[in-house]
Amino acid sequence: MNYLLHILIMIGIYLILTQSLNILMGYTGLLSVCHAAFYGIGAYATTLLMMKFGINFFIAVFISIIISVVLSYIVSIPSLKLKGDYFVLSTIGFQSIIFSILYNWVSFTRGPYGIPGIPSPSIFGFTFADPSSYLILVLFFVIPVIIFTHLITSSQFGRVLKSIREDELAASSLGKDVYRFKLTAFAISAGIAAISGGLYACYLTYIDPTSFTISESLFLITIIAIGGSGNLKGPVVGSIVVIILPEILRFLNIPDTIAPNIRMMIYALALIIFMIYKPKGIAGEYGFE
Amino acid sequence: MNTIVELKNLTKSFGGVKAVDNVSMDFEKYRITALIGPNGAGKTTIFNIINGFIKPDKGQILFEGKDITGLPPHKITKKGIGRLFQDIRIFNKLTVLENVLVAIEGQSGENFSNAIFHRKKMIKEEKENIEKAKELLDFVKLSDKKDIFAENLSYGQQKLLSIARILAQDSKVLLLDEPTAGVNPVLIDSIIEVIKKLPQKEKTIILIEHNINVVLEISDWVFLLDEGKVASFGLPDEVLSDPVTREVYLGV
Amino acid sequence: MILQFLANGLCSGALYSIVALGFGLIYISTGIFHFAHGAVYLVGAYILYLFLIVLKFNIYISLLFSLLGASILGNLIETLVYNPMRKRKVSPSGFMIGSFGVYLFVVNLIALLFGNETKVLNPGIEKTFSFGSVILTRIQIISFITFIVVSLLFLLFKKTKTGNLIIAFSNNPKLIETIGYNPHKIRIIIFTIGSALAAISSSLSALDVGIDPNIGMSALFASAVAVIIGGVNIFEGAIIGGILIGILQSLVVWQTSARWMDAFTFLILIIFLLFRPEGILSKKVRIEESV
Repeated sequence: MNYLLHILIMIGIYLILTQSLNILMGYTGLLSVCHAAFYGIGAYATTLLMMKFGINFFIAVFISIIISVVLSYIVSIPSLKLKGDYFVLSTIGFQSIIFSILYNWVSFTRGPYGIPGIPSPSIFGFTFADPSSYLILVLFFVIPVIIFTHLITSSQFGRVLKSIREDELAASSLGKDVYRFKLTAFAISAGIAAISGGLYACYLTYIDPTSFTISESLFLITIIAIGGSGNLKGPVVGSIVVIILPEILRFLNIPDTIAPNIRMMIYALALIIFMIYKPKGIAGEYGFE
Repeated sequence: MNTIVELKNLTKSFGGVKAVDNVSMDFEKYRITALIGPNGAGKTTIFNIINGFIKPDKGQILFEGKDITGLPPHKITKKGIGRLFQDIRIFNKLTVLENVLVAIEGQSGENFSNAIFHRKKMIKEEKENIEKAKELLDFVKLSDKKDIFAENLSYGQQKLLSIARILAQDSKVLLLDEPTAGVNPVLIDSIIEVIKKLPQKEKTIILIEHNINVVLEISDWVFLLDEGKVASFGLPDEVLSDPVTREVYLGV
Repeated sequence: MILQFLANGLCSGALYSIVALGFGLIYISTGIFHFAHGAVYLVGAYILYLFLIVLKFNIYISLLFSLLGASILGNLIETLVYNPMRKRKVSPSGFMIGSFGVYLFVVNLIALLFGNETKVLNPGIEKTFSFGSVILTRIQIISFITFIVVSLLFLLFKKTKTGNLIIAFSNNPKLIETIGYNPHKIRIIIFTIGSALAAISSSLSALDVGIDPNIGMSALFASAVAVIIGGVNIFEGAIIGGILIGILQSLVVWQTSARWMDAFTFLILIIFLLFRPEGILSKKVRIEESV
């Protein structure tokens, strides 16, 4: 039972991450390889706010969303002025720089040693310590995120994002300030990603920079690639598939030393195969075509 | 002449080649002016300059007397200049209806915080806009296709869609780049009918056309361009029967 | 002291230039952001390790197999991954992501087969030579000489008919077809040369500082930066970019610490992108002018 709860919690956390990436990739058509950086910023900001300043989890998450959004503008304002390939490179750069900071600024983040003993979220005297209550906490965030994403994407704002994805030049000839829309989409996706970070940190009660590497960013892209993008179903399908997969591996009794490698190889292979044969993913509406 | 768009001494070079060479043109309000000339004469470049996609090396563009040179495309559009592309550029994975809807101006829900916090207003606007869009789709006879993805339309239908889209913009000046190219003759008549009616709706049309019959039938004025320069200007009959025109086209 | 670090930077920069040249060649002629170049680089180094240390072949045979293996891998990627994508009209983003999938797959395979720890190919003290106050190891000198040789060869290649054509290829296979060449054959040449260059670079680096499954990443990012600096002029860009990165990294290591090297590479990247996305050397071309 605990095992099932664990799976559901992880699916929930990844759902939030991938829905936010979907707004950027699936709806606006921007490839970002730094989503894990915002995930990490959310995790570390929430953790440090809770542990160094004794701030309540919910407020800490809220503040970390703001921090994530502000930092997103630092990378998006300059780099969204550049052509496609170059924007992607900037996101790779940002990802690398954030990881470097998390890993090397030991006095602030404890670097590779990580931060253990992260307290469980609590509110009005109730603590979300055991798996079943944590799942409820996760749902408490997942549901609004999905509603929020739906509101955004089904609105006139979302329609403009899609038009930018389809043909940026045509969109600008219709009077849309493409640059501004992209900045906003990027900020929204960064802010939501931070929520997952906070949830992840308090669930595992331990974080270190190795959870927020470029591989993680690519893993998120893999989920979108497999599940599909451009609609709300895609990330759901992708998250489920991709979280269940390693559990299946576990049943095959693969030794722990090589299990992570095998897992990454399966994801990588899936990524390649999907890019070639099914750029729309399993349930997506828009693909890399 | 009641001028709405004025080009003054526009020059633009690409890698040493003068695509537009000291071009000055006046476009009369509520009239249809055609730009004709062989390929490479600079017509599309001029459109791109007016639109803001390209900055001229020298010269100015005036719209309603005000200088719009160097403004970014979306700002120029907001001032009232709309563009129809030669290669259509509709939004493939949006429905026909959505293609038209997205073009309508003044949508409050395009601001993201309005989309969340002022939903009622957005929904009301959306209802009105959908009516307006449906009317436009009726106008171009695409109503029955409103919910299919634009990429699934035929070429001619996509052209009509792009016309509906530009009409949704409520622009004062419409830059139409080869609106009848590649379209079957029956559809061409539909398109010509649509364009003819536009000046009555207080719109000014500037048209790039290779189809001489179309030019003769609908234009009020014609500019002949050759190698980046204005070779001649006048009424359609005059320009088209002028020997200079034949020279330019046949390179004689 | 600073001279030593400059010299070190020059030699490591020389190796960056070589791999960047390969990357740039592929990027300019196929338009593909060949992330998997990092995988090819990695495989080249590990094949060298396999033949030299594990199978105990001599250095020349091992190097040969390294180049061979890398070229085969490069072409396999083009045939099995890029070509199918091309046929299905996948977008450039799709190519990039697929390429990164290949990179991920290969890196994890290598880690699986060889382990994550750093492997040294040259235990013991390297022979050194002094040039005034600067001391260089034999490998460093060989690296620099190789760089000079590769550069000269590349310039010569550019002047040949094939070379000229490839640079002009610039992702225009239709154009190539009309001139009567087979774009497929051209691609084989491009990927072979590009991959071989990666293998040369990684083999020399392997002999100098050893290998681990992550060396591909640093080489790849240095390549990307070099290509960005040079823009369309891949040769000049690779040389200037590679050497610049090498020297700057060396100085960073001297002044702060090796741990910030990657972040620093990126800072350079981002600064360049902001001020000169077309590269220092190419003429400015605005996005809109391709309308």
